[in-house]
Parts: sequence; structure tokens; C-alpha cells
Amino acid sequence: MHDKKLSPVQTVIMGLALIIVLFPVFWILMTAIKPPTDWNASPAIWVPSEPTFVNFQTLFDPEALGKYGVGGVSQPATRAVFGSLLATIVSTTLSVFIGLFSAIGISRYGNNSKSTPLVILSGRMFPPAAIAVPFVIIFSNIGLIDSYTGLIAIYVAVTLPFSTWMLKSFVDDLPRQIEEAAMIDGRSKLAAHLTVTIPLIKGGLFATTMFIFILNWSEFMFALVLSYSNISTIPVQLAKYVTATAGTLYGVQAALAVLAMIPLVIVGYLIQGHLARGMTFGAIKQ
Amino acid sequence: MESKNVKLEKTLKEYDAGGMSRRSFLRTMATLGVATAVANAVAISPLGALNAFAAIKGAEDRAWELAKVAAAKATKKKLTLLIPTGSIGNMTPYAEKWKTELGIELEFIEEPDEVVHTKGMQEAVAKTGRYDVMMPTAMSYPDWIDSGVIYDLTDWTEKYDPELFNKEWGVVFPASHHAQLYNGRVAGLLNDGDQITLLCRKDYLEDSAKAKAFEDKYGRKLAVPDTWKEYYELAQFMHDPANGFYGSLEYRSPYYVKWMFMQRLVSKGMLYFDGEMNPTFNSDEGVAALEDMLAMNEYLHPDAFSFTWSSNYNAFGRGEGFMNIVWPSGFKYSKAPSTGPATTGKIAATVMPADFTKDGTKLYAGLFCWGYGYAVSKYSANPELSYAYAQWMTSPTISADAIPYLGGYSDPYRVNHMLKPTQRLIDTYSPEYLQTLYDNMVNTVPDFCLPGGFEYQDALDKEVHACMTGSKKPKEALDRAAQKFERITRRIGKDKVKKSWLSLAKNLADPIKKSTGADKWS
Repeated sequence: MHDKKLSPVQTVIMGLALIIVLFPVFWILMTAIKPPTDWNASPAIWVPSEPTFVNFQTLFDPEALGKYGVGGVSQPATRAVFGSLLATIVSTTLSVFIGLFSAIGISRYGNNSKSTPLVILSGRMFPPAAIAVPFVIIFSNIGLIDSYTGLIAIYVAVTLPFSTWMLKSFVDDLPRQIEEAAMIDGRSKLAAHLTVTIPLIKGGLFATTMFIFILNWSEFMFALVLSYSNISTIPVQLAKYVTATAGTLYGVQAALAVLAMIPLVIVGYLIQGHLARGMTFGAIKQ
Repeated sequence: MESKNVKLEKTLKEYDAGGMSRRSFLRTMATLGVATAVANAVAISPLGALNAFAAIKGAEDRAWELAKVAAAKATKKKLTLLIPTGSIGNMTPYAEKWKTELGIELEFIEEPDEVVHTKGMQEAVAKTGRYDVMMPTAMSYPDWIDSGVIYDLTDWTEKYDPELFNKEWGVVFPASHHAQLYNGRVAGLLNDGDQITLLCRKDYLEDSAKAKAFEDKYGRKLAVPDTWKEYYELAQFMHDPANGFYGSLEYRSPYYVKWMFMQRLVSKGMLYFDGEMNPTFNSDEGVAALEDMLAMNEYLHPDAFSFTWSSNYNAFGRGEGFMNIVWPSGFKYSKAPSTGPATTGKIAATVMPADFTKDGTKLYAGLFCWGYGYAVSKYSANPELSYAYAQWMTSPTISADAIPYLGGYSDPYRVNHMLKPTQRLIDTYSPEYLQTLYDNMVNTVPDFCLPGGFEYQDALDKEVHACMTGSKKPKEALDRAAQKFERITRRIGKDKVKKSWLSLAKNLADPIKKSTGADKWS
């Protein structure tokens, strides 16, 4: 740690940067506790004079906004929150798990073929909108449409190239002699990777998990296209907070956005040490 | 003990015979549980009470009888409805009745309104049968019918007669035709009268100092505008940006701006195509319409370029402008104290301003844009039951009851909604505004209710927006849109689109047909 203080100019720039970065968060937090009359007020109301939790309440009791004369909210967000958690946690786990072993395989046992990266990344070369409809047809025929199994399968398929390639860069940067030393000590290849490779790329693993988690957590298009009524996720639910009598329910949207932030903030906070290390791992080694 | 039906019949006969005042007739009907809409319409019907009662309630009764038979046969005791988010308020009040009396559960699948069309097209390939009833806008019917995802309802409507074209309680002509038919066949039943009308601030019009200043400047009385020129002058006169008050709030934002252009274009006696499917909006009239819009930009609310329908309603309800071009829901919004605190009791509404055609004829033309309706999915397990639901919900009686409920998009669309309104309709809108809706609706021109309609609309929207933002000159933008239109027509098939276009144009109001020359197309 260095104890050099920031110059006044640096302090001002840092302060400005913080204001810019934190402004959307501040605005969402404030909107989430505003009553409907303040959502669109002009001039804007920065801090509500009468803060309320009615927007949060509406997420679980759609009729809560009725006391402000706003009707037409029909669905609680409970299912969407549950759906997002389920789909994101399962698909992230699967994506990182498969990606990790793919990365080790390519890095340690691959034939250095130049086409391998292309093949793995090919799934990412199409815009989601272009591949959504074929998936609808396929999933309809095999009974996976409107099911969490189908949604998770898509999420894994879409994020696996990222997890594979992010993790491959971490494995590549690890000297293979360390694993070989473990093998000389009598460990099998699998045991060597489990006890040596994985602990040593822990930072990268956390960074990748976080990245894939964010991708899945915020995914909108596939969730929208593949859902009818059995499945729901937070991004899709956010788009549904519109009523004929009050227009877009900005306060309720903001309340759900605040809830959606919580897992990311918690996970980010818990792994911040690993995150910094994971994100800079390659750079240090290079 | 006398049955309810016998009592009802006796009351009707007594009223016909002149043995009962209108007030006691309405009171008795209410006691018998007859909806106010029916009672009102029956009381003033020239058919006589007995005949009128049977007639106006007929569509509802026929649908209910069909629903009972279909529900008894149905193996799946649930109807699933694809509806746009925000529309459920008009439907939920009846779910309990369907459950308890028919044993049919209503399941509503809400989707953001901008994806309802796509969801329908998706169902055409996925064929899941997940939806029974689908609620698109009128523009979806051609593509949905052609892709085989919804039924042609004509046979059912002939058999069960939903009273679509009845002069006293049918859907107002010509919306009855252009928002429900595709190539002359019934594709859906309208449940939302989406037309745009003009709102003004009545309190400003009644301000004596302003009235004098206006008369001194323009040489005429301060009143709601009758023509687009008057609209422009009023916006100019009322524009007071220093006090956060603007001349008008009409849209310049992507997706909405095309309607502002289309409305002006049709007022000048010009449609989107001629009788041979050649685009006509890049004519002198089209250029003049864009130039009118560019001139108006100076007197618009600063958020006009980013307005969505809801932010536009918000701004007008907050009292930030003198005029606004809105759907009927915008009037409701501005009238309610909770959402329109600055405009409650201060709105004067009027039909869309007129313009002059090349030969100097003054032409009133409105725009029927958006407008939800019920369609029946071809993959439904219970299509007859689904149709029965659509007819029942849109019947003259049930629809009059459904429209005033909070949290739904449904606005008046039948003659009885506007000319024989129930007290609840009056409370929600106002007799004056309901009359304005009727006067405007009889002159409406349809949206692009054609095969590829969304593509045409999108192409026009992008070019009009480019012109409004200054990146293209009016003529350049319209010529480019015309090129795109020709490409879309070629790809879909000229004969196919032409057939649909001529079918639409056939049902325009006579003055519009005459001014645009559509009366001579064949």
C-alpha cells in the first residue's frame, strides 16, 4: 500500500467520476421510494419529501398502488425473482463448470488447432435475435419451450464460449510445470487439476463466475421469446410494468431494479479481492 | 313466485305501452339486474323497449349460450389469453363469472405491447397451442391470417351475430371495417377505439385577457382550432417556454412521429398509396405535411423528441402545454385528478383539425391508429369457446360495462358507447368528449392494416424522424421512404397488398374517398 495522497485536481476528478458513476444508482434508489406523484414530476424531485415503500410492496402485492388510483398491475414479481435466481445460478454454475474443464482441456491437452477458437466462439457470432426463432421451433418440438430447463440450456449455450475463453487465458498463464510436479508426486491428472490448477486460478474463476452471472442475470431476449406463462425473469418482468392509467410504472421498475442489484452487490463485495486479482491476472503474468 | 324474466318482460311491455316513466323504468331495470348500458339504450331506442332489449342484449346472450355449450364440451377448462401489459383491468372483473357459471378459468398471459405481434408470429411457427384468445392491434390481422395463426371469424360472426355493423350499437363505421376486417373477412373483434383527437386547455381559452389579445392579433375568436393553420397559430400564441408552458405536446419521437405525419397527410386529401400501390406520400402534400411539422417544432414541448405515450400524458397532466394530440386514454388520464392534477376539469377536446385539398375543399380526416381486438388462435384447444369469449366481451352491453374499469386500454368504439353512454362512461370521459370521439371516428383513415403493415410503418417512421431531426430534407426523406415501400410491396407481392389496400380504401368515409380519388379505384 502506498500512502501518497491525491492532489486536489485528482481529488476533484475522482469526485466527478464517482458522481457520474453513482448517479444512476442514486436515481434508481430515490425513484424506488417515491410515490407515483413524484415519479415524473417536473422539475424533477431528487429526494422524495414523503418516502414510501409502496413500490416495493407492489412487487409482491400488485394492488398496493391502488391507494394512489393506479390499477392494472396484475402480476407479483415473486415468480420473476425466483425464476431469475434459479435460471442464473444453475446456468452460471453449469457454464463455469463446463467452461473450466474445456479450458483446461484446450490449454493443456489441445492440439493448438487454430480452428478451435473459431468453432467455440461461433455461437457468439450471431446476434441473439437471429438465433432466437430457430430455438423457439426446436424447443417447441422437444417440449422445452416455456420451461426453466430450456432457458437454462440456452443460457449455458450462450455463455459457455465466454467462460471457456476467459478461463483458458487464466490456465494458459499458469506454468504447467506446477501441475506436472503434482503428477510426479503421484497425483492423477484430474487430481492435479483439482488440487493445483483450480486453486491457483481461483481469482480468474471468481471473475469469470461473476461475469457469467451478470450476463445471465440481465439477459432479456431469450427469456422473453421462450416464455409464455410458466417461466419469468426479472428483465422480462421489468418490461411489463406499464399500465393504461399511469403509463410506465417507474417507481415499481426502480424497486425491482434495486432488488435485482442486491445479489450482484453481495457477490461483488464478497469476491472483490479475487475479482481484482482475477481481472488483472493475465496482465501481471504478461 | 314470478321469475326474473317474466318481470323483465312485464316491465318492458309496460314501458312500451307508456305506463311507466323513463326514470322508473331505469330504476326497475336496475332492480332486475339489467346493466345500465342496456337499460339506457333500451329506454331511448326507437324500436320500442321490448324489441330493443332483445336486440341490444342479443350479441351478449348469443355469445353466452355458445360459451355454455362450448364450455360443457371442453376438455381443457381454461382459456388462455395473450394480452398486452396494462390491458388486464378491462378483463379481470369478468373472470369470476366465467369461473363460477361456466367452470372456465381465464388465464392472462401479459406481454409488453411491442412484442404482442411478434409473439403471434412466433406462435405461427411454434404451434404450441398455448394461447386461445390473442389480443393484437388491427395491424396484426393480415400477417397473422396469412401465416395461419388465427381463424377467419366470418362464419362465426354470421352465425352468432356480434352486431358489428348495427347502426345503433355496432362498431362505428368506418373503424368497424378497417379495424376488424381483412380482405372483407372478419379477422378480429375490436375492443379498443384507438383514434387520436386534439385536447386544448379550456381555462386558457376562457381567459378574457388572452381572448382579447388573440382576437387583436389574429382577427378571430379564441377557440379550439378548426384547421391545422389555426392549430399552428394557437400553439404560437400560447407558447410560453419561459414559464415552462408550451404550445403543443405532439410527438416527434421515433415510433410515434409517423402518426403525426400520416394524420396531416390524410387531412390534405392524400393517402399512403394510389390505387396501383404506388406510394403517394412523397407528393407535394407529403412535403407540405413535413414542412408543417418542421414549423411546429418551434412551439413544441422540449421532450417532444423523446415522448412515449406515457411521458406525453404525464407532461400534459402536469400542465406543461396548451394542446396535445392523444388517444382517448390520454383524455381519461388528463381528466382524472390523480394523474392529471393540472388539467382536471380544464380540457376542451375537438376532432383533428381539417386541412384543404388541392381543389380547396376543406377536409376533416382522423387517424385510427393502434386499436386492440380479439383474435382466436388456430391452435386453440377450444376455438368456439374462445370466439364466444371475444363476442361476449365486445358485445354492446358487456363492452360498455368493461371500458370504464381502471387499468385497461379499452376505449369507446361502439355507437352506443358514444351516443348512448352509461353513467360510468360519462363519468370516465364526459358527454362532450364522447361526442367528439364519435365525430372524429366517422372520418378516420386506417393505419397500415395490410400484409407487411409493420414494415411499411417502420420505414415511414424512420424517414420522417430523420427529417424532423434535420438529417434529411422533406422531399429526400419521403422519396427514400417511397423506395423502401416499393421494395416491401415487391417482396410481399403487389397483387396481394393491392387487394388488401383496395379493400381498406373501399370503406373510407365518402368525403375522404372523394378527395383522395379512392372512389374511382377498382
